[in-house]
Amino acid sequence: MKVFDVIIVGGGITGAATARDCAMRGLSTLLIERSDICDGASGRNHGLLHSGARYAVTDKEGAEECIRENKILRRIASNCVEPTGGLFITLPGDSLEYQENFIKCCLEAGIEAEAISPKEALQMEPAVNPTLIGAVKVPDASVDPFRLTDANIIDAMRHGATILKFHTVTGFVRSGDRVCGVKVSKPGDIRSREFRARIVVLAAGIWTAGLAREAGINIGMLPSKGALIIFGHRVAGMVINRCRKPSNADILVPGDVVSVLGTTSDKVPFEGIDDMRATPEEVDLLLREGVSLVPALSHTRIIRAYAGVRPLVMADGDGDGRSVSRGIVVLDHETRDGVPGLITITGGKLTTCRLMAEMVTDAVCDKLGVKAVCETALRPLPGSGKAHKEEGEVPYFKRAAIGRHGTEVSRMDFDLGHEIICECEQVTRAEIRYAVKTLGVRNISDLRRHTRIGMGTCQGSFCIKKVAEVLAEELGQPLREKEFIDEYLQERWKGITPVIWGDSLREAEYMQRTHKDEI
Amino acid sequence: MKFDAVVIGGGKAGCEAASLLLDAGLKVCLVSAGLTMDAESTDPWAAVRAIARRGAVVLRGDTAVSADLKAETVLSVHTECLEEEPLEARLFILATGKYFSRGLLADMERIYEPVFGADVDYIPGRENWYDSDFSAPQPFLGFGVKTDAQGRVLIGGKTMKNLYATGDILAKGAQAASIEAIASEYAGK
Repeated sequence: MKVFDVIIVGGGITGAATARDCAMRGLSTLLIERSDICDGASGRNHGLLHSGARYAVTDKEGAEECIRENKILRRIASNCVEPTGGLFITLPGDSLEYQENFIKCCLEAGIEAEAISPKEALQMEPAVNPTLIGAVKVPDASVDPFRLTDANIIDAMRHGATILKFHTVTGFVRSGDRVCGVKVSKPGDIRSREFRARIVVLAAGIWTAGLAREAGINIGMLPSKGALIIFGHRVAGMVINRCRKPSNADILVPGDVVSVLGTTSDKVPFEGIDDMRATPEEVDLLLREGVSLVPALSHTRIIRAYAGVRPLVMADGDGDGRSVSRGIVVLDHETRDGVPGLITITGGKLTTCRLMAEMVTDAVCDKLGVKAVCETALRPLPGSGKAHKEEGEVPYFKRAAIGRHGTEVSRMDFDLGHEIICECEQVTRAEIRYAVKTLGVRNISDLRRHTRIGMGTCQGSFCIKKVAEVLAEELGQPLREKEFIDEYLQERWKGITPVIWGDSLREAEYMQRTHKDEI
Repeated sequence: MKFDAVVIGGGKAGCEAASLLLDAGLKVCLVSAGLTMDAESTDPWAAVRAIARRGAVVLRGDTAVSADLKAETVLSVHTECLEEEPLEARLFILATGKYFSRGLLADMERIYEPVFGADVDYIPGRENWYDSDFSAPQPFLGFGVKTDAQGRVLIGGKTMKNLYATGDILAKGAQAASIEAIASEYAGK
């Protein structure tokens, strides 16, 4: 039986970046994900590339990590990052002294924070609350977490890593105290398979706690729920933050053609982490606060609401989980718990994913006696690098794909597939085929995450039948068309119901009446 | 402008009502915002045009916004485009449909009927408006205006004498107006 150098459990951004780093250092690598890539918290967040400014006052180390990684990701993942810039605004009732200290802390952490006048701020970003009394410009940016995770996975594969999706790790293969592999099962299949490795890395976000328990290890983790709202317009071009102690609903991030407002922070029980939904109460709270940041949000169309779970490592005496450091945690279970062969990587942020991967891969290499150096900060991810070149004018059907996939577009066959399947996001058949062939897409939610299909303003109401038909064709599984439609509608409904008033209610009625017979 | 009957809503229910009122020889005005969801027709204006050809005054693309009431009687309706020129009539038919056609509006707290402020039968609390299973019956699709046994609309718990409701705007289980009977009644007056 093949023994891998390393098995990584979890296909979120942390696992994906770790797989890339391990594979680039020449380790034989297997990544196992129970669902699709990016299905957990990695796909349920703001899509904010932190400058670190948000943490400058409370967590200097975290802030320094953010700004370093921010600069690296802009370089190595240019097609995933949009350099929007960010503003921290001070409103009447907030303290200008806080702002002064905030700027000082930012500069100390190496973050270029520049105070600008309210007038300048309004010229730069007309959507901000016009009553603001102060503003600070910082290098925040918008990042597409799906694209970033995909890019890491693709690069890992191109360096020889094996990716196993839709397989659940149910336990560990032991040899005495040592962990020397994992037991894996597939949904609907009672047979269990075993994969062996010299080191197993847990990178499963909040699900890490449960996995560690299977190895008899206790990791004190705190599931902290964060709810967010997506608006149907790009209300502001920059990331808008509130310049005060981090609180609810104080960040608005532009992403492609939408804006994301968040977040809340509430301790939730472990039982609910597999089915996180935003509630009407959370939506009310987010809107109440968000409107003071950007008043136009009160009458901007809401597309949906969603929620993710932050994997916070517990500290003593903390109630709501917000003051816990988002610091990176590497746990060597050999020294910590007397279980050799098992390492956990957790904590951290989307912005610091590459650094997390570097830290845990260093630990893995150390255990294996491998001397290879980390090169992930130097080499661009697939899709990044020099802009995709076209001779003459870029045809309309290629433009959105170039924006999403950068140089990877050269792998798409537009000669046979330039028909547009999803109008809102301009997704073509060629892009769907690429997602099936290269990204291993197997169902409609996968396809949505990897191409943005149905994520636009119509939320699939108009295109979903066509999408399901084309996906079934490309997979060579024509009988699954109806299953795809069902799955899609249920998933969208989950995000629509917490915001079911106004125009969202109109669209909900439309969706019900158009598609009810499909189910 | 004075009419025998004003029909608000140019969808299936409104056009059918207008047609029956014309059959009875009444002078009819039809207001249609053009937000019908009629899946059977590829031309959303076809039914409305047919009503116009039969001699009704059709306000295409206009929306009723408010009404003048006196005691339990509707005197006239104001539209967006004819703000200065109320539509007066003896009989009013409310056929504006549900949410998509803006017959019912919803904000974060409540669901209401915007033209007359008619009583809406719904469950307060947004979490009660939907079922989280897409394929399950959705409570919000059953909400709508309340009527009496003759299909007359209730406002503030009181039955309006000359305002009837028909079509999707009705709450589940609410009585629809029998337009044929109403038409012959008003034709005889």
